Amino acid sequence: MEGAKRTVGSGPILELLPYYRRYRRAYLLGSLCLVGTIVLRLFVPWLLGDAIDDLRKLLAEDSEADPEHTRYRIAVHAGLIAGSALVGAYLRTWSRLHILGTSRRVVHDLREDLFAKLTRLAPSYFLRTNTGQVMSRAVNDMNNVQGLTGPVFMYIAETALLFAIGISMMASLDVWVTACAVLPFPLFIWRARALAKTIQEGSRAAQDSLGTVSDKVAESLSGQLVIKTLGLEAPDFERFAAHAEEYRRLNLEVTRARAKLSPMMVWLAALSMLIALSVSAPRIESGAVTPGEVVSLIFYLQLLAAPIGTLGFVISSVQRGAVALTRIFEVVHAEETLPDRAEHRRLPAVRGELELRHLTVLRKPAVSAEGGEAPPDRRVLDDISLKVPAGTTLGIVGHTGSGKSTLVAVLARQLEVPAGTVFVDGEDVTELAPTWLRQQIAVVPQDPFLFSASLSENVALGVRDASPERVAEAVRIAHLDVDLAQLPQGLETIVGERGVNLSGGQRQRAALARAVLMAPRILILDDTLSAVDTHTADHILNALEPLMEGRTTIVVAHRISTVAHCDQVVLLEEGRIAERGTHAALLARGGRYAELFESQEREPEHRPADEAPQEVPR
Amino acid sequence: MSATTETPRMATGASVYDPEHKSAGAFEPELLRRLWGYVRPYRRYVVASLALLLVTQAAGLGLFFLLRHAFDVHIEPAQFEGYTTVLAGLLAISVVEYLARRRQVWLLDLAGQNALLDLRRDLFRHLQRLSSSFFDRTPIGKLVGRVTSDIEALQEMFSSGVVTILGDFVLIVALVVFLLVLDAELALVSFLIIPGLLGATIWARRRVRKAYQTMTSRRSRMNAFLHEHVAGMALVQAFGREQIAKDEYGSINAEMRDAQLDAVTWESFLSAATDMLSAFTTALITWYGARLILGDVLLGARPDLTLGTLFLFVFWMQRFFQPLTDLSLKYTVMQSAMTAAERIFRLMDVHEFISEPTEAVELPAARGEVVFDDVRFAYGQGEPVLHGISFRVRPGEKVAIVGATGSGKSTLQKLLTRLYDVRSGAIRLDGLDARQYPIAELRRRVGVVLQDVFLFEGTVLDNLRLGHPEISEADAIAAADRLGLDRIVKRFARGYREPVSERGKNFSSGERQLISFARALAVAPPVLVLDEATSNVDTETEELLQSALKELIRGRTALVIAHRLSTIRDADRILVLDGGRLVEEGRHEQLLKRGGRYRELYDLQYRDQADAATS
Repeated sequence: MEGAKRTVGSGPILELLPYYRRYRRAYLLGSLCLVGTIVLRLFVPWLLGDAIDDLRKLLAEDSEADPEHTRYRIAVHAGLIAGSALVGAYLRTWSRLHILGTSRRVVHDLREDLFAKLTRLAPSYFLRTNTGQVMSRAVNDMNNVQGLTGPVFMYIAETALLFAIGISMMASLDVWVTACAVLPFPLFIWRARALAKTIQEGSRAAQDSLGTVSDKVAESLSGQLVIKTLGLEAPDFERFAAHAEEYRRLNLEVTRARAKLSPMMVWLAALSMLIALSVSAPRIESGAVTPGEVVSLIFYLQLLAAPIGTLGFVISSVQRGAVALTRIFEVVHAEETLPDRAEHRRLPAVRGELELRHLTVLRKPAVSAEGGEAPPDRRVLDDISLKVPAGTTLGIVGHTGSGKSTLVAVLARQLEVPAGTVFVDGEDVTELAPTWLRQQIAVVPQDPFLFSASLSENVALGVRDASPERVAEAVRIAHLDVDLAQLPQGLETIVGERGVNLSGGQRQRAALARAVLMAPRILILDDTLSAVDTHTADHILNALEPLMEGRTTIVVAHRISTVAHCDQVVLLEEGRIAERGTHAALLARGGRYAELFESQEREPEHRPADEAPQEVPR
Repeated sequence: MSATTETPRMATGASVYDPEHKSAGAFEPELLRRLWGYVRPYRRYVVASLALLLVTQAAGLGLFFLLRHAFDVHIEPAQFEGYTTVLAGLLAISVVEYLARRRQVWLLDLAGQNALLDLRRDLFRHLQRLSSSFFDRTPIGKLVGRVTSDIEALQEMFSSGVVTILGDFVLIVALVVFLLVLDAELALVSFLIIPGLLGATIWARRRVRKAYQTMTSRRSRMNAFLHEHVAGMALVQAFGREQIAKDEYGSINAEMRDAQLDAVTWESFLSAATDMLSAFTTALITWYGARLILGDVLLGARPDLTLGTLFLFVFWMQRFFQPLTDLSLKYTVMQSAMTAAERIFRLMDVHEFISEPTEAVELPAARGEVVFDDVRFAYGQGEPVLHGISFRVRPGEKVAIVGATGSGKSTLQKLLTRLYDVRSGAIRLDGLDARQYPIAELRRRVGVVLQDVFLFEGTVLDNLRLGHPEISEADAIAAADRLGLDRIVKRFARGYREPVSERGKNFSSGERQLISFARALAVAPPVLVLDEATSNVDTETEELLQSALKELIRGRTALVIAHRLSTIRDADRILVLDGGRLVEEGRHEQLLKRGGRYRELYDLQYRDQADAATS
């Protein structure tokens, strides 16, 4: 599968074959039922026409028909109509349950596989691809694919069969009348397709526009204090009204097409019926066709005209589905850059010595660069060499964009690196199992993530069966215990997106508690206490000291004062180590570091909330 | 403390708005009347649409009458004299039906879209007017839902043709009457299956709806899980929880599939049952019709019952089925539309406005004197945040307000501009109670510069004149130049006409502040309240901001919620707030010497700045 070129077209649908194959019996059974359903449905007009002809013959002046026999025949016909309806309904239900039901099962399997793949993709993948892009594949694209797994093909097959069988049944009644009556169909199919396209594209545009309206309302309401204070009601209303009007305009465009489509289908039925009626007149006179057969023909035409309106939508959804499928398989086939391999080793114990040798990291162009040429690779880290002896602390400072985050990702074994550049305890990391190695390292990021689970579950994330006492101890060390009183259920309070919203500082301390509980050999504090006030931060750092004892600790910070106590400090500038040494030595040197320190000390109280967004590659 | 019991002043009729309120979606005449108020301006469209609907239905019926005629007179006896006329008639009727139907759908939706745009606009304007205390206790998400999804539900009522429910009723009644007139006995037999049909559709539809509800809630649960785990995948991997996550997702995914399968089952049943019952009716008509014609029934033979009539019965009964099966579906749409309408109008019934003065008072000349007289305040039912604040700011005086977070500093600004009304006591501007100024006039006299700079899309110049079209472009630019904004905009090709990108992303936070300074300077209010920004800006911009601030407050009364030491030092007077009380006032040196609350604050917050500046 590696490096295989994939083309858009029928390609993505072929990729679904393994999934289809898994359920081939259900699909087969469903298709058989479908054929049966259509045959039975087409049987009804024929029976009806035949019954009318029987009755007509009996009523004719010079009838020689036996009334008893006719009665019997009509009763049989009526019985057959009812019977085929009953069996038809049964088969129809079965065909739908099999085909549509299976399509739900296939999409379920596809979702399962996609998620499993996501759990295997390296962190660097998620750095390159934002959450929204992945979500849109897992949710929207998955919805669009649903059609390809059954409904669309069922609909197309149903329509095709209906036409094939229907037209041949009609032709068996009268070829000429049939040929004339179906004449307008191609034109109407073509028109319906065009209108369906307009409607679908328009609806999508309208949906986006509604999203804009919604965003605007949310923005205005959350900014209501500002708007009122500055007296901006009128311009704010104008902006809202412009969005709302745009939404109406797009909606009306859809309406215009919709208003044409459904009447057109009714008209198709009427028009083809009219054609049938007019061309059948001479045929009736010549006796080539009976009045009962004309009734059958008209009923057939009604049946055939019915699905035309929907056909256009179905064709569009095949196209949309194929595009969606391509996007989903882009993820499913994404390279797993940091997989565990059989030859990978796991060390019996980690001391915590870290070393970088001439490490250069290029930033790859974004995953889904929208057209245009790919931007040239940038040196995010440029020839970095440094050594952190086990049990010491390293401070990393630098401006946003200097490469701090990338360096953290490298040290945390989240980013791919060439062999011979990164070493843990003297071992090349590319020879060690990445999942194992990551579990030896705890990273406490600046903007930590909490799952929608209880606070204690979030803290105990890395440690199975952590005792409540140990969790409480970790919470205390991280200075989170003081906040527990404010939370409705203390440590058992559900936090995260669907729970209580913790402040930035609280989340940072929760993530710190998580790392404390995990007690790894290597601890990385990535601007961890930026949202915590200085007094509390000092307090926490003091509490952390016994823990940091004997562990390798890397402290990344915006502010120099945070790293002043580290055993060694490096200043990053544009991906290079500009200066290195101890805090005192660097200050004494009077270079960039000293300059930065001075300018920071002059600034007013540091406010993290207004800081530039985190450096995350697109 | 007893004085705080006075309730905030609101217009009468204020009811407590509960966004979670459940309603039955009943067809209350009051709701319909108010909805009609919005449709009324477009009633011509609606009336025309309904008229066209009747034309459509009549044409549909007429088509089949003519068809019966064609069958009985021409096709069955194979007599084709005058057949062309009949065919021409059929063609004419079908064309009329086509055109009428097309126009009818369009007109109805046009009326609906226009009415709902008006409703949306009114609702937004209503929300704009609601007082800030309303927003303190109402989640914004719910209110956004009123303006978007609830109005969508009403739109559904128009576009899904629920209004044509009226047309359906006409059609059903007409069909019943015609069929009974044509042949009462056959008609009654044809109707036999209808109750079964109605029962089956209502029953199955209810199950489909339930399945969809389950599906929706499971889908949102699944999406939430996915979102969380995609965002936190690094964490999942770092802690080796891949299998746990997969298992959890597996069960959520399976639940989702089962809900979908449930929906598929009931939908399949519903469509199959409808088809089947329709075919049963055809069989019934054929069999019983034949018996009628052959005279095998109780009431004797019916020789006048033609084959054409039989044919007509079959056709019409098929047509009869569609509106009947749609009925329960449309009822559901209608119900949710009514629920939405009730929610919308209940929100519009909330009259929690900051009240305008009831009678016009002669306004004093603007000098810029501000007096707080024993002002007490609490947000909603919460703890009091101001406990009797009194001070007077002389015209032209520069006052710095300092205090820890939560001391009540920004509440002073909110009260002065009447975002909220005082609980007791009074705020007087140039001797007149703030509540006696028309609100627009009050907010013209009291200019505010907030930390949070709000930039609209448009050019820089548009943003300078925002909300004040009376300021000329030249005046606005002159004001901006005075503050040194020209130095910033000169880097743009179009200078002051450079478009501001969404939320002002093409400006740094310091530059955005400078724009808001210029905006305030252009308006030139006699009193200025400034909430000094705390964010870091580079040294050059910092200097620019400092000098711009001096320029901005020159010659006017200024209350600065100060964060910068230099601002505080330059102030004529410092007001120190602590826990909603005014604890100290005076100049910087005096207060430092006194060693009170200000000294504490200074040591905690401003010391570093002072050290850095002197070192």
